[in-house]
Amino acid sequence: MNVAMKWEQFERYQPAVVKMITKSLEKGRISHAYLFEGQRGTGKKAMSLLLAKSLFCLNRSGINPCNDCRNCRRIDSGNHPDVHVIEPDGQSVKKEQIEMLQQEFTKMAVESDRKLYIIEHADKMTTNAANSLLKFLEEPRPGTVAILITEQYHRMLETIISRCQVFSFKPIPPVLLANYLEEQQISPHIAFLAAHVTNNREEALKLSRDDWFAQARKIVLQLYETLKKNDLQALFFIHDQWLPHFQEKEQIDLGLDLLLYIYKDMLHIQLGQVDKIIYRDRLDDLRQWSLSCSQRQIVKSMEMILRAKARLNTTNMSVQLLMEQLILDLKK
Amino acid sequence: MKITIDREALVQSVQDVMKAVSSRTTIPILTGIKITATSQGVTLTGSDSDISIESFIPTEEEDKVLVEIAETGSIVLQARFFSEIVKKLPEKTIEIEVHPNFLTVIRSGKAEFNLNGLDAEEYPRLPQIEEENVFKIPTDLLKTIIRQTVFAVSTSETRPILTGVNWRIEDEELICTATDSHRLALRKAKIETENHQSHNVVIPGKSLNELSKILDDSNDPVNIVITANQILFKTKRLLFFSRLLDGNYPETSRLIPTDSKTDIIVNAKEFLQAIDRASLLAREGRNNVVKLTTLNDGIIEISSVSPEIGKVTEEIQSESIEGEELKISFSAKYMMDALKALDGTDIKISFTGAMRPFLLRPLHSDSMLQLILPVRTY
Repeated sequence: MNVAMKWEQFERYQPAVVKMITKSLEKGRISHAYLFEGQRGTGKKAMSLLLAKSLFCLNRSGINPCNDCRNCRRIDSGNHPDVHVIEPDGQSVKKEQIEMLQQEFTKMAVESDRKLYIIEHADKMTTNAANSLLKFLEEPRPGTVAILITEQYHRMLETIISRCQVFSFKPIPPVLLANYLEEQQISPHIAFLAAHVTNNREEALKLSRDDWFAQARKIVLQLYETLKKNDLQALFFIHDQWLPHFQEKEQIDLGLDLLLYIYKDMLHIQLGQVDKIIYRDRLDDLRQWSLSCSQRQIVKSMEMILRAKARLNTTNMSVQLLMEQLILDLKK
Repeated sequence: MKITIDREALVQSVQDVMKAVSSRTTIPILTGIKITATSQGVTLTGSDSDISIESFIPTEEEDKVLVEIAETGSIVLQARFFSEIVKKLPEKTIEIEVHPNFLTVIRSGKAEFNLNGLDAEEYPRLPQIEEENVFKIPTDLLKTIIRQTVFAVSTSETRPILTGVNWRIEDEELICTATDSHRLALRKAKIETENHQSHNVVIPGKSLNELSKILDDSNDPVNIVITANQILFKTKRLLFFSRLLDGNYPETSRLIPTDSKTDIIVNAKEFLQAIDRASLLAREGRNNVVKLTTLNDGIIEISSVSPEIGKVTEEIQSESIEGEELKISFSAKYMMDALKALDGTDIKISFTGAMRPFLLRPLHSDSMLQLILPVRTY
């Protein structure tokens, strides 16, 4: 999935985190549990795998793994028997998954004397799973390293956080990312939006080159225009355009983000912060729109979109109902 | 890799290693069987990371050519498909050839399969065997030892170390202990070692159950090697690896009482049947408890009362009762498990009071011992 990874590569984006991890690698003082916390695309997963490789690599040069030995290659392909990566099974990380991990760790390592586990989206652990893990974190065995990854630090149990060494990954400034995308021949209006949607360079590039994303942008802007005019029309628009285009959960989530940015932009205009505007090519329209609503209204609308986003991720509500309700709420 | 292999030999080997392959595994490569061809023959490996089974097919056996090696090498093939394919191929021999990008062609007669293989380098590496640390146990004895201890391991994960059987090797003697903290089974056996190394390891109960299934009833010796992370059992045809449990096994020798206040000698079979009958009613109740009372003239009364259902009493004649009178309650299940595990017709039960653990032993042997904690009743 990636070319040879090295710690130096991450230094530009996450100087503080890289410095702390590399120092502890140099000194051989690896903690028993880490919590990598930060926005999507800030390199948490990549760095956790790099740390795994640095620990398991057979011919490490300094602190960097060779990326070519049996162990490095197997960590990349997910086949190393002593490195376990747990991802949410559906909506959440289930108790059974943690139990399996626990059983695995009652035994000696398969090949080496070290064991490492990575839990992605650790905030999505069910309460039961989190409590099982807690017991496990409390009594670490020698040679065991845990890396928990989360985008939502505040959803983690206090008791888990207090048992981990926390590394906060800083978001990459969108302007930097947008500039990078423009260098890659991406048109500015797409680049700027993509840079806000994700923090990951590869992902942003992929999105920008995807027709789906350009189309999504168009639909969201159209939706807002329709919404301005007539609420009944907006409901039809949802059926004809929105629902067929945004199908997967992640896509809907992204669509709601795009909608949120419109309101954000209007707020920025009202506050006179024109440099922060995301939909730059529509500046005139935005100015026009922002005249017709108060700050309070905008903030309230943003709140509704955020609530819809939360519902989308935490409940099994039908998407159609969710969108219809949002439209009616926004119109009020 | 390019080999031509006898179908029957391959089918047998694949069946053996399939026992270790699990369909639900988190490590993708373990859904496959590893096939390695060297100039000596072909090795098949299956694993679920807890246990691994290796089967070796030599190039020749009893003047019959089993494998022809045209080119050495190794490959991992999807176990589910590979095992079905080899079973159903038409001819007596099978040709397996690996092309670049792990594309594998399996040919037999006019049938040809193209399977996408996986890189054998990705497969977990099994520990290298050092021949000097070997000790030997006859197959049937090993099976007996497993049967007599493994039933007592804990099934709860609260203390993971108790889900395994502790094997201690000291001075040519193997001491196996299993306990779930309510009962304990201990078995000693003489073993042959070449050097006097001592070991202290804990083997998962599940692995021993699996091992017991693949052992036959011969008295050929099984070679056993203990490495840092794994234990290896080597039979004539197969290598069986199991991972060891991590942690220190609790000290159990202090638990075993040395003195006794009441000694009973009974016929194991009669006693077992009486307990079984008494537990018919107790089984329904909360914890399957039966009560043992010593009466005069060497008579033991076994009884059980379940208020809602009814009660049962039975008197059995013991060989002898020595020491104080006794009333004691215990779990019928534990007692039956222990009695079934004990060999020998007559057994000796030593009590040290109604609230203290008691011991069961065969009358004429001290190689084996079962300990049960009584149940407090009112």
